[in-house]
Amino acid sequence: MGAALISVREVGFSYEVRPVLRRVSFEVARGDFVGVVGPNGSGKSTLLDLIDGVLRPGSGEVLVAGRRTDAYRRREMAREVALVPQHFALDFDLTVRDVVEMGAYCRPGAAAADDAERTLARLGVSDLSERRFSQLSGGEKQLVVLAQALMQRAQVLLLDEPASALDVSHQLRLFDLLRELNGEGLTVLCVLHDLNLALHYFQKLLIFSEGEVAAYGLPEEVLRPEVVEAVYGVRAFLHKHAGRTYLTFSPRPRGRRLGRVHVICGGGTGSGLLRELVDAGYDVSAGVLNALDSDEDTGRELGLPMAVEAPFSPVGDEAHAENLALIEAADLVVVTAVPVSHGNERNITAALYAVAAGKPVFAAAGLPDVDFTGVTRTLEGAGIRLYADTGEVRAALDELRATSGASPADVGDADGLA
Amino acid sequence: MTGGARGAGRLGLGLTLVVFVACLAISLAFGPASLPLDKLLEYIGAGPGTSEPGGVIFWQIRLPRVLLAFIVGAALAVAGVILQDLFLNPLTDPYVTGVSSGAALGATVGIVLGLAMLPWVTALALAGGFATLAVVWVAARRRGRIDIYVLLLAGVTISYLVTAVISVLMIRAGEDMSAIVYWLLGSFSGRGWEEVQVALLVLPIMVVPLFFTNEMDIMLQGEKRALELGVEVERAKRVLLIVAAALTAIAVSVSGVIGFVGLVVPHVVRLLVGPSHRRLLPIALLGGAALMGIADLLSRTLVAPAEVPVGVVTTFVGAPLFIYLLRRRRS
Repeated sequence: MGAALISVREVGFSYEVRPVLRRVSFEVARGDFVGVVGPNGSGKSTLLDLIDGVLRPGSGEVLVAGRRTDAYRRREMAREVALVPQHFALDFDLTVRDVVEMGAYCRPGAAAADDAERTLARLGVSDLSERRFSQLSGGEKQLVVLAQALMQRAQVLLLDEPASALDVSHQLRLFDLLRELNGEGLTVLCVLHDLNLALHYFQKLLIFSEGEVAAYGLPEEVLRPEVVEAVYGVRAFLHKHAGRTYLTFSPRPRGRRLGRVHVICGGGTGSGLLRELVDAGYDVSAGVLNALDSDEDTGRELGLPMAVEAPFSPVGDEAHAENLALIEAADLVVVTAVPVSHGNERNITAALYAVAAGKPVFAAAGLPDVDFTGVTRTLEGAGIRLYADTGEVRAALDELRATSGASPADVGDADGLA
Repeated sequence: MTGGARGAGRLGLGLTLVVFVACLAISLAFGPASLPLDKLLEYIGAGPGTSEPGGVIFWQIRLPRVLLAFIVGAALAVAGVILQDLFLNPLTDPYVTGVSSGAALGATVGIVLGLAMLPWVTALALAGGFATLAVVWVAARRRGRIDIYVLLLAGVTISYLVTAVISVLMIRAGEDMSAIVYWLLGSFSGRGWEEVQVALLVLPIMVVPLFFTNEMDIMLQGEKRALELGVEVERAKRVLLIVAAALTAIAVSVSGVIGFVGLVVPHVVRLLVGPSHRRLLPIALLGGAALMGIADLLSRTLVAPAEVPVGVVTTFVGAPLFIYLLRRRRS
């Protein structure tokens, strides 16, 4: 416990009567690289101000280097902790160099001018030093304020959404730099909103929710979809792509059931539609797909019920039966422009089964072009509708819901059979 | 500060000094009775005991009056710099804190009570100024810190209240009314060495903010950022507020309420040399003094032997200059 550089113990804080933090406790060790995430208004910025001693806790205590923050003089604190605020207003005509040099105020006698040059060079913005601060772009200002904070030569750097005004190249440069500084011993605590940046860059993540610590630990452990869903109130999905793990998000379905769609796809022809339907709030199933197929990947990451066959194998009896069961449960069936060969021609049989079962069935207009078997000709007379754009499928789903009332599953047989 | 900026700052300070000395010499030389410039050194050499008519005018009338104008101008300009930066509000001048109104009330009370002479008027004006500051201070104090916005609002409110009280006193004052009006307009007419002695108090006070130039620079970024960078913001605010109030109260107590210098000089100087206080404070000090000196010179020569109120002149000189600089900067 004594090794912690920052100790937040049972801290409560309120602005007037509105409680912002409730019994928050956690520790940051020397050299930690911690991301702080959480919804707007969850108390993240307040937490930074409490660590920097600008605010005092209403209850509990905050220790920096073993000493209560209220026992520090401001100058001493500035030598321990530097903060990069989210908002920064300076309407006076000071040069960038003047602004950066102010960071050395806590170190009387420092060679501020030389240090300022070096710090600006380190951030790759030496060319800004003679410019007027008030004429810089938002991203440039952000870097200059970071330079100002680095001038404090503090061992802790707190940042409040430093990436929010930066384009993607400056964003990556900033986070790479933070990681580099961390490698040199700087302890970093950074509030940010981008959960994927948080996942990729930080050693530890602290998740805040309604003024409390919802989770604290390794990024992959704390940024699990169920935690994200509980904290942010959205659905979250983990994807592995190009050697990295990504989170994507969908709005949480609004109570009412919209209906169920079964998608016959494969080879990546269905991924976009699967995601679109999930985002729109439909229950979605898919099949038959080969394991490791990219549509199968997408379906798995989205947690969809699927009929799956072994990799590179033709559709077997078991998978086919499963597929038919999923079709039974669906209100509408879509066949994407999946190339049809002898391996998966049973999926067309399944589509015909859906027509026979009275389900509305849509097939991509391009499907016959990628049919290497001729089996899709059987669909033509069966009353299947062709679509050129997924918007037509969505429109049909809306229509279905409108004509059938609350439960589209009860739609009569007549609808799909012409 | 960069080498170039430092050079520019030094150049600015040098130029201001030249202007300052020139204004001082002109102010001393001209008046209802013009004293030849080349004689000034002679008078100074002769000392205050001289019996030569020119020397007597110089030592007994001209010099104390010019010194007073210069000192008051410097004090108001410095107070204006401090308050504009403390409030981060360009419309602030030394009079918004209510201190000048309080001082005016003190002086008015003095005149009504028949104490219209030194040291009473000055003492009462100082007392009135500081009493007002105390009231405003208490109003703005919250959990050990001074809320600068509350201070501003309380100061303006108190000013109105005090002005109302002065009006009541003026109505009841009868024949003293014109004396009060004349005093409120502000003037250096008839001021002598006693007033200069009082005014000299501002010199050590004006030195104090020079020790806070770094803090004042940093506080341009707002109080919170200043705290983050290590500034003891509350202490700096307390010291600077008291300094500004003391400068204002002393200035008002010897010369009445002279407007515009404290509002415009800080802006003009900021436009010319930038907001960095190491340059801004000394140059505003010299500039305020020079402007007030010239304004007083015009006030006593334009319609001699009568006088134009010096506050009117400061406005006539300052307003066009300010507008010109604002326009030039825009283009």
